[in-house]
Amino acid sequence: MRRSPTEFHRLFEFRAKVTNRTELVMAILAFVSFILIWHIAASSGLIRPEFLPTPLSVVEAFFRLFPQRDFEVDIGISVGRVWFAFFLSVVVAVPLGILMSTYRIVGSICEPIVDLIRYLPVPALVPLLIIWFGIGEVSKIAVLWMGTFFQLVLLIADDAKRVPEEYIESAFTVGAKPKQVIGHVLLPSMLPNMIDNFRITLGWCWTYLIIAEIVAASSGIGHMIWSMRRFVKTPEVMAGIITIGIIGLLTDQLIRWWHRRMFRYLQKN
Amino acid sequence: MKFITFKNVYKEFVTERGTQVISVIENISIDVDEGSVIAFLGPSGCGKTTLMRIVGGLETLTSGSVKLEGEEVTKPDRRKGMVFQSYSSFPWLTVEGNVRFGTRYRNDISESEKNDVVKHYLNLVQLSEYASLYPARISGGMRQRVAIARTLAAGPNVLLMDEPFGALDAQTRESLQFQLLDINRQERKTIIFVTHDVEEAILLADRILMFSARPARIIREFDVNKLIQDEPRGPETKESKPFFKLRNEILHIARKQGQPREV
Repeated sequence: MRRSPTEFHRLFEFRAKVTNRTELVMAILAFVSFILIWHIAASSGLIRPEFLPTPLSVVEAFFRLFPQRDFEVDIGISVGRVWFAFFLSVVVAVPLGILMSTYRIVGSICEPIVDLIRYLPVPALVPLLIIWFGIGEVSKIAVLWMGTFFQLVLLIADDAKRVPEEYIESAFTVGAKPKQVIGHVLLPSMLPNMIDNFRITLGWCWTYLIIAEIVAASSGIGHMIWSMRRFVKTPEVMAGIITIGIIGLLTDQLIRWWHRRMFRYLQKN
Repeated sequence: MKFITFKNVYKEFVTERGTQVISVIENISIDVDEGSVIAFLGPSGCGKTTLMRIVGGLETLTSGSVKLEGEEVTKPDRRKGMVFQSYSSFPWLTVEGNVRFGTRYRNDISESEKNDVVKHYLNLVQLSEYASLYPARISGGMRQRVAIARTLAAGPNVLLMDEPFGALDAQTRESLQFQLLDINRQERKTIIFVTHDVEEAILLADRILMFSARPARIIREFDVNKLIQDEPRGPETKESKPFFKLRNEILHIARKQGQPREV
């Protein structure tokens, strides 16, 4: 007789499932070992601290940044830029994406253009955007917008296309007009996927933010990282990078949590 | 004047590359009486669904005409209700919300009458106790009943059903067939339904139209009421001699037609 394997053995079994508690324990274990190996490597004397500072000195640098450099202002500015640019992407991408998938006249005109621009590397556009908009806020928002809008609009168009034909036709056969079908059926049907795509696109925003802030800015997390690099203050540089990671992770988890609450109706029990 | 008339209906598709014209429906003429239940029976992909969708205004025809109450069908609207094979109940609305959606675009009745309509149809499909649940929490058969109630709540003149029980397991399917008989004993709707299930066609329909493989042509017609005189029809009907006789005859004709052509 084959006994069911223990939790520990299940970890090594092909496509097996483990409990949430095991997942959490493994996550903590992985994290702690990572920090430990980092600490041992950094304090062994083999690597110079300018290249690899200890985890503790990074934490110290993080807390030093607030009184010394008003780091909270940098964080606020960066977060503000990301959300503002993202908001601008969303308000244009949602209506346009829906129209692209519902009216061929819009779709067949926009799709080739969007597809082309989507493949242009955004960092390469930075010099151009600076020529156009100068080095003020506008050029930074423009970089973020360029980086997210063209991806988002295609994702939205795709979400709209994936709404089952039966939903649309059901609405027509109970008497809805095209406008009502968009508002009352298409939008609520695509909403869960759409919010998920917002979450993913918001993550990309952070990548482009750093590029924009390194090239031309006098504030923001990216600017702080770049100016600390000039003095080889590696702990501060790493603290800045990790701050972005933490903000990203928190936002992502928050949206996921909100998504689960808002779309509880999709859950089977 | 007949309730629904199909006159010399032809339908052709042009392939996506635009190189080929495929004939789907060839010269079909049918008259449908008000209050009768018609089954379109035929092999998968033969064009019977397309023919029914033309009545719903969801598909155009190449030539000929389809009229509902003397008026040419051009667009979908709430006079032509449609129930789909897959579960088309909206996941973001509760059972009640879905049925209420059927009344949303009606301007022939007041808001309080709408409430009564919703209550009536929830009751008719026996879902009153599940009114506040979301579709994800209920079974496939229940979801299909939600779709039927929603369609009826819109007050259609004709009910079009595209293999409405095709996605359900055998037991649920049979139970829903009996329930549909029950519902229509009260509602007396004109119904056109598409199926490839011979027994379903005999049990539910007043008239069966048998279609050939593509392009769809009518190969035989059966007046089921003449052949099966059970009133009301029910589980016993399915075990009666006339039922078996008709079933065997239809299957025999289908067999003689041979395998449906591939594409």
